[in-house]
Amino acid sequence: MSKFSLICFLLILPLLLSGCWSKRELNELAIVLALGIDKVDDEFELSIQVVDPSEISTRQPSTGRTPVITYHATGETIFEAIRKITTLAARKPYFSHLRIVVIGEELAKEGINEALDLISRDHEFRNDFDVILSHQATAKDVLNVLTPIEKVPANKMLNSLRVSEKVWGSTISINIDDLVNTLNNNEKSAILSAIEIHGDPKLGMDQTNVKKVKTPVLLKYAGLAVFKKDRYIGLLTEDESRGLSFIKDKIESTIEIIACTKGGTLSTEITKSTTKVKGNFKKGSPHINVHIDVEQNVGEVECDMKLSNNKSIKYINKKTEKMIKQQVEHTIRTVQQNYQVDVFGFSEVLHRSDAKQWKKIKNDWETIFPELPIKVEVHVNTQGLGTIQNSLLHKSKKEE
Amino acid sequence: MSVSKSSDASQPNSNNELLYSSLSSNVKLIRNTLGNSNDLIIREITIGKAEKHTIAIVYMDGLSDKTTISDTIIDKLMLDLVEVNGSETDIETIHQYIRESCLTVVDANNISHFSALFTAILNGNTVILLNGCTFGIVTSTKGARDREVTEPSTESVIRGPRESFTETLRTNTALIRRKIKSPNLWIKSRVVGEVTQTDIAVMYINGIANDKIVAEVLARLDRINIDGILESGYIEDFIQDSKFTIFPTIYNSERPDVIAGELLDGKIAILVDGTPFVLVVPALFTSFLQSAEDYYQNWIVSSLIRLLRFLGISLALVAPSLYVAITTFHQEMLPTAMLISIASQREGVPFPAVVEALIMEIAFEVLREAGLRMPRTIGPAVSIVGTLVIGQAAVEAGIVSAVMVIIVALTAICSFLFPAYGLSNTIRVLRFPLMIVAAMLGLFGVMFGIIIIILHLCSIRSFGVPYLSPFGPLILKDQKDALVLFPRRALLTRPRLVSQKNNVRGHKYLDTKKRNKSNV
Repeated sequence: MSKFSLICFLLILPLLLSGCWSKRELNELAIVLALGIDKVDDEFELSIQVVDPSEISTRQPSTGRTPVITYHATGETIFEAIRKITTLAARKPYFSHLRIVVIGEELAKEGINEALDLISRDHEFRNDFDVILSHQATAKDVLNVLTPIEKVPANKMLNSLRVSEKVWGSTISINIDDLVNTLNNNEKSAILSAIEIHGDPKLGMDQTNVKKVKTPVLLKYAGLAVFKKDRYIGLLTEDESRGLSFIKDKIESTIEIIACTKGGTLSTEITKSTTKVKGNFKKGSPHINVHIDVEQNVGEVECDMKLSNNKSIKYINKKTEKMIKQQVEHTIRTVQQNYQVDVFGFSEVLHRSDAKQWKKIKNDWETIFPELPIKVEVHVNTQGLGTIQNSLLHKSKKEE
Repeated sequence: MSVSKSSDASQPNSNNELLYSSLSSNVKLIRNTLGNSNDLIIREITIGKAEKHTIAIVYMDGLSDKTTISDTIIDKLMLDLVEVNGSETDIETIHQYIRESCLTVVDANNISHFSALFTAILNGNTVILLNGCTFGIVTSTKGARDREVTEPSTESVIRGPRESFTETLRTNTALIRRKIKSPNLWIKSRVVGEVTQTDIAVMYINGIANDKIVAEVLARLDRINIDGILESGYIEDFIQDSKFTIFPTIYNSERPDVIAGELLDGKIAILVDGTPFVLVVPALFTSFLQSAEDYYQNWIVSSLIRLLRFLGISLALVAPSLYVAITTFHQEMLPTAMLISIASQREGVPFPAVVEALIMEIAFEVLREAGLRMPRTIGPAVSIVGTLVIGQAAVEAGIVSAVMVIIVALTAICSFLFPAYGLSNTIRVLRFPLMIVAAMLGLFGVMFGIIIIILHLCSIRSFGVPYLSPFGPLILKDQKDALVLFPRRALLTRPRLVSQKNNVRGHKYLDTKKRNKSNV
């Protein structure tokens, strides 16, 4: 062996000195799928939802144990609480697969900045999990509810959040990066989807909860929670939340219900919605224009209406435009009057449209925002009628 | 032909001396040298009317064709030479008469040395010795039992010729000649092995093969110094460029069509008597991933199958080490649902993932080796034990996880994907060090291992041709027959580094193409 290759060989050898450092076998890990943070007195109460892999697996017959276990610990800091959990848990908690973080209402009212530091700083936490707020419940209680079909409640929470964002629009999925970025911004205000428990929280942790046809205790998304700085100040209703989604261009698909000419209702399925928010300054005072372009299909007709008629389509378009406009304006009004925080991100729009003017008003933004003139324009285009033309009601009336 | 060739070969025996004129002395020496072995047949006959002449016919029983000997030698000598009369008493004249006018055998030459005599009879030829004459006559009567040309057993194809080489050198060269009917298909012969005196034929197409490589092959063959060559594997080990490599740098095949294809690429075939496996040099890494059938079917299908083989070799090499690395170091890389599923299977498994992987891989290698070596009649028993032990029982007993069984099965199947068995063995061996670095350093270790393997591949050569060409060095023109296969009409040139002087396959076609182009 030449001297050169000997040196190379010796240089390679130290690599092996690391041994099996940082090695973790799969069965030494407690995979944490959901994390809950509450505030009890002056301490944080941390709850983790750990999956029991052998209960999830399809291979073995279920032994009747619950698919997830929750552990709780309190500590002055989150980190302390996490490490304290090891005294309870069978294995070391592993956070890389965290799906969702639930923030308790009480904590949110006092401010979430401190609580978020660790989970956005620590390397074991990834940044792809969602953050939600527990409404009228502690995060601990939310994590303790067992859910049917999706054996892991964390998955249920995430799926509901994503699906309702996609086809209904009352929730918005916010991951930790989005949240921290918004909290860093002085002008913008954060929003989080809020979850609530329907039923008695104490029954939710029992396995009987998933053994009934009608689940006694359910987790349901209530709407969007509005934050001022890092404090939770109020919850938007479902309709207001959808209005907010419209403005934030988060609507992928949703339903609008309009009244027919001769009574009865008609639902339309919105298949595409594009929102353009434009800001400008007129004589130094800011203005906002929200333009919403909607494409929709007729989804359900519960009235006598001749759809093959061009007029009725125009009617539907107009009516939907009005509906959406009302909804959006109502949301804007509520936010401007009740919360006075810019959850829509208008500050960014104005900044982009004219940076110099924006700088002048930047410091007064909090007082300007509640009075900000916002013009909403909606344009609706109805494309499809579905697989049948006129409603059954229309036909039966004719026969009479 | 073999007679003239053998005459210049040196005999290890000390009797490199001239034949005696006395027949009885000659016979005695032959018997003594062969230790009175009973397969040596010496038939003494007497000819002539007036003056009797004794003639001995010497051959080895079993190596020679007895019908030829009796029909073309003994028959002629005893019936025709009876009439030799007194005027032709001169033994030299009789000798000449016998050789030129009497024997009806196809080949008859004079010999004068004992060494040539022994080579001749041990090759299955017959030697005729006359009393009083210091010359013998060698007649070609080879006729040892040999195997029929059968279907290839290690390289089967669905479409393609159904013949394979046999153990007889002459049959093998004939099989190739039948495919390439060109006077430029040349054969150079060598005899290697001090004791075994094994015939070796080096075949190449003159004008296509690189003369320097041909000379190098012959020189390396001449340098071999060993008592015996029993299989082409002996030669392979002696003539390869680098002794410290686990990768096969010499290709082998038992299919005449494959060898003919390689010869047309400008490569050189080395045929060894006694084995159906013919060596081909220079060998490139890609040729181990190419099957003869690639060229016989649609090029799109062949290209996809080649890509599949590349995927297969990668999987066979890294699948277990990736499993070990990801499940012990990088759990965050798995999708959550998959992590939970794997974790549930790992529940209760007592060993770390790497031990689990080693157990299963070694168990599989043991089964595979057992399946190869034992009598064919016990075969089913081993496969039953294999499926039960590797498959079910190990999982049910909680020794290994079900995923690990899938990984092992995957690697096993992938390692059977190669058309050339030599590479499959290499991959089998390399899998184990990779698993160990994966267990120590995770994915970093796996990458580290792969980089070292690639560096090594880049460094080795086969008869001067870089092993990884046409990828390293990158030769764009040769890419048409590497990872994928272009249609036949695009394969106009031979591998550039292999045959350097005559690179164009179809001159006529190329000419017309050029003409068309210039017309446009």
